[in-house]
Amino acid sequence: MSSSQLHVGEVHAHEHHELSFIHKYIFSTDHKIIGIQFLFTTLLFLVLGGALALLVRTQLAWPHAELPWISSWFLESNGGRMTESFYNMLFSMHASVMIFFVIIPLLAGAFGNFTIPLMIGAPDMAFPKLNMLSYWFMWPAFILILVSFFAEGGAPAAGWTSYPTLASSSMPAGQGFDSPAAPNSGHGQIFWLLSLLFVGVSSMMGSVNYITTIINMRSPGMTLYRMPMTIWALFITAILQAFALPVLTVALILQSLDKLLGTTFFLPPAGLEFANWETGPGGGQPLLWQHLFWFYSHPAVYIMILPAMGMVSDIISTFARRALFGYRAMILSIAGIAGLGFIVWGHHMFQSGMDPRLGTGFMIATIMIALPSAIKTFNWLATVYRGNVQYTAAMLFALAFVAMFIIGGLSGIFMAATPVDIYIHDTYFIVAHLHYVLFSSSLLGIFAGIYYWFPKMFGRLMNESLGKLHFTLTFIFLNGLFFPMHILGVAGLRRRIPDITNAVLESPLVSLNQFMTLCAFALGVSQFIFIYNFFYSLFRGEVSGRNPWHSNTLEWVAPSPPGHGNFETIPVVHRWPYDYGDYGSIDHLKQTDPPDPSHPSGQHH
Amino acid sequence: MGKWWSALFGIVMLACLGMFMVAPFVPTWWLPEGVSTHSGQVDALFYIILYITGFFFVLTEALLVYFMYKYAGQPGTTPRPTEPAAQGGFYAMLHRWFPDAHRVEVAWTIVPALILLFIAFAQVPTWLEIKDRSRKPAIGGEKTPIQCHVSARQFEWRVRYPSSQRLRNWQTFTTNEKTIADFKSFASFDGAKPRHPHLDDVPVVNEVHTWKGQTILVQLNTIDVIHSFNVPHMRVKQDALPGRTIPVWFTPTKANTRYNEETKRWEDAFNFTTGKPDMGYRWEIACAELCGWGHHRMIGRIYVHENKADFYRWLEHVEQSQAPPTKPQQKVAAR
Repeated sequence: MSSSQLHVGEVHAHEHHELSFIHKYIFSTDHKIIGIQFLFTTLLFLVLGGALALLVRTQLAWPHAELPWISSWFLESNGGRMTESFYNMLFSMHASVMIFFVIIPLLAGAFGNFTIPLMIGAPDMAFPKLNMLSYWFMWPAFILILVSFFAEGGAPAAGWTSYPTLASSSMPAGQGFDSPAAPNSGHGQIFWLLSLLFVGVSSMMGSVNYITTIINMRSPGMTLYRMPMTIWALFITAILQAFALPVLTVALILQSLDKLLGTTFFLPPAGLEFANWETGPGGGQPLLWQHLFWFYSHPAVYIMILPAMGMVSDIISTFARRALFGYRAMILSIAGIAGLGFIVWGHHMFQSGMDPRLGTGFMIATIMIALPSAIKTFNWLATVYRGNVQYTAAMLFALAFVAMFIIGGLSGIFMAATPVDIYIHDTYFIVAHLHYVLFSSSLLGIFAGIYYWFPKMFGRLMNESLGKLHFTLTFIFLNGLFFPMHILGVAGLRRRIPDITNAVLESPLVSLNQFMTLCAFALGVSQFIFIYNFFYSLFRGEVSGRNPWHSNTLEWVAPSPPGHGNFETIPVVHRWPYDYGDYGSIDHLKQTDPPDPSHPSGQHH
Repeated sequence: MGKWWSALFGIVMLACLGMFMVAPFVPTWWLPEGVSTHSGQVDALFYIILYITGFFFVLTEALLVYFMYKYAGQPGTTPRPTEPAAQGGFYAMLHRWFPDAHRVEVAWTIVPALILLFIAFAQVPTWLEIKDRSRKPAIGGEKTPIQCHVSARQFEWRVRYPSSQRLRNWQTFTTNEKTIADFKSFASFDGAKPRHPHLDDVPVVNEVHTWKGQTILVQLNTIDVIHSFNVPHMRVKQDALPGRTIPVWFTPTKANTRYNEETKRWEDAFNFTTGKPDMGYRWEIACAELCGWGHHRMIGRIYVHENKADFYRWLEHVEQSQAPPTKPQQKVAAR
């Protein structure tokens, strides 16, 4: 421990010369700059993903509306209406962008990079150059995914899950790699596969770095059981990612080979018969993709929520002025969710043709994930109990995370229950569930994190009134948008349907969909308040000082924004991060505050 | 001032709860009437989970809203009571690993764990009954399911019935080994193609027929991409997987198809209880797995005839209308 500290200190001392603009802000090895780079790029992709979502919503509410501007933009015409394949492309790309280019890189890339060294008292990541590389490996991915929109036949339209044989079928090279399953398209899928490969490599470099940094670079006194929940969550997430990612990488390579070289990993022995083309005999299994894909993508669901849980735990404790309740139970439940997360991938495949007896095992494991989730919820409630709640924008978003996670968690039990899943599988019920977890929970957690750490990132506070307005509108409209999806699912509306007026159970649901789409547009417009607030505060916001929230964790000991190397002196940690309230005249005890017999720590040993 | 935030949370959560309370009474906003023998069990499990999760939703959201109201900006909070360290026993053991463990934590771990285990194990019998291949309806005698082959493709369901004579033969009381072998040979496939097709097999498109109370065994496969055989009213959903044939079965408890003497056609969406046409009795097979641009309109229908006689009347009618002009009883067709 001490030798590695010394080593880092030496490196640090050598780097005290002025860096050029390019080295300081573009090809930077500083974890804070890299984190902010991730933040800006992913927020740009959030705008793209949101715009795609609004187009999806438009089509759901007014399936026969003429949208001539769409055909003029994207050169696809169906009498001025949106084509079915264009709609399929919209939701496929909405999901791909939001998952791989927004939520994962925002949580792991932006917040992971920014908070880890600061919150454990390290001057930087263990491998700063690898860290820079992990950001720059995202760029080929960004470019490939954007180029796919302009590929012949458009961006991929086989869903973000890219199930073979719809996604993987490909004519031989001589016939231009067109997909026989979706005539005149299929090129976008190749860009998608390559793009995700780069995302994977980038995430892998990040994970290795986070794990090493957290294990090796903690400042003196920062024992594992003194680490804030944000760090615990990012630590466990990084482990999860490091173990799950190779499987996705393999799956992506296999599908790329199927598409480009004509291998048959996902082609069944008897081959397939498309309207215009017959494949030769294959030797593979379409179900193999689903196993490989979900073996990564289910843990990925937790990669997309656990860091937000960690951040929200710290934010709630800070603004409730109350020690986080059940600190060790919180850590163990995150570890429990992550551990169980590896043995539940089959719950995406209950109706896929997988052996139903296997489904039983996956069901029991899946339902048991509700237990650590429930423990976390009760602990958050108990943290607020007898608190002294300060309603800042960050706190409101964090509390809304809890309120929304309850809905998303409870609705998950329906899908986990195999017989009930027979009915609601691939209906809007699952769409409701995943949006309550990914948008209403993760993204609200991300907003909480942005409002909370903005002063540390840029030295200025975001405007609180605008923040609260942003919160209020977001909270109302997201529920107006997502909650009725439960009802749609129970009523039998299938997901991924460009025209809901065909099926007998679906056509009566148009008016409810119109209400939801109006909420979606209102939700979209509300985000402009955030964009304005973000940029206004960046330049004109109130100067924050080191510790505007009177918080205990180490990053608030450093200047705002912290300089290169973060801390003036390496901080020495004397206590856990949750000593709030309870100390009479003293409001809170920072982690660096020396032990004082008259104000004992709230942490039991 | 801060207390008002609890009102915002409370109102929004009440609106959500209200929507779930109102929806069952809005005709098209809730589960469609289940019309298969197992739909009751599936719905019962749905309601059990709905009530349990509904209870915990109200409990946790109410606590959150109440705490947000009660503890809004209270300077000088009361210290959290600390529990005296236990001497020996379960709690002392617990405190060795969880120094901050609280008695209430033990309660809110064990109680949800038991409830969740109950929910999980309550699903198992129904699930295996519906899906487990080994519990497939028995062959032999009058209870033998009728059988059809559904071959999914972009973007329709091609259905193949055996001839009425063959189907009757399967269901006779004196089922011998030859009949059973014939029953099985119908469901024998080479890829998605039947291995032993008969020239008198009856092909139809986008319609699956059976009669009230009669189990139908659907041999499901696909020739191109993954589709999903989804009949919401029957609580049936099964993906069709390239390279595999998956048996799906259900037993309708109600009929929806009657013979219209005037038009000489069979019409579905008929409610025999009220004696009137009723859109609630149109039972669709709506593909539930994204299968390409035409996915949304890949919709077939389930026709449940009132009785065996009417079903055979339909099947024979189709046979006659589709009979090849010469040599109807050719042996196995060459593929």
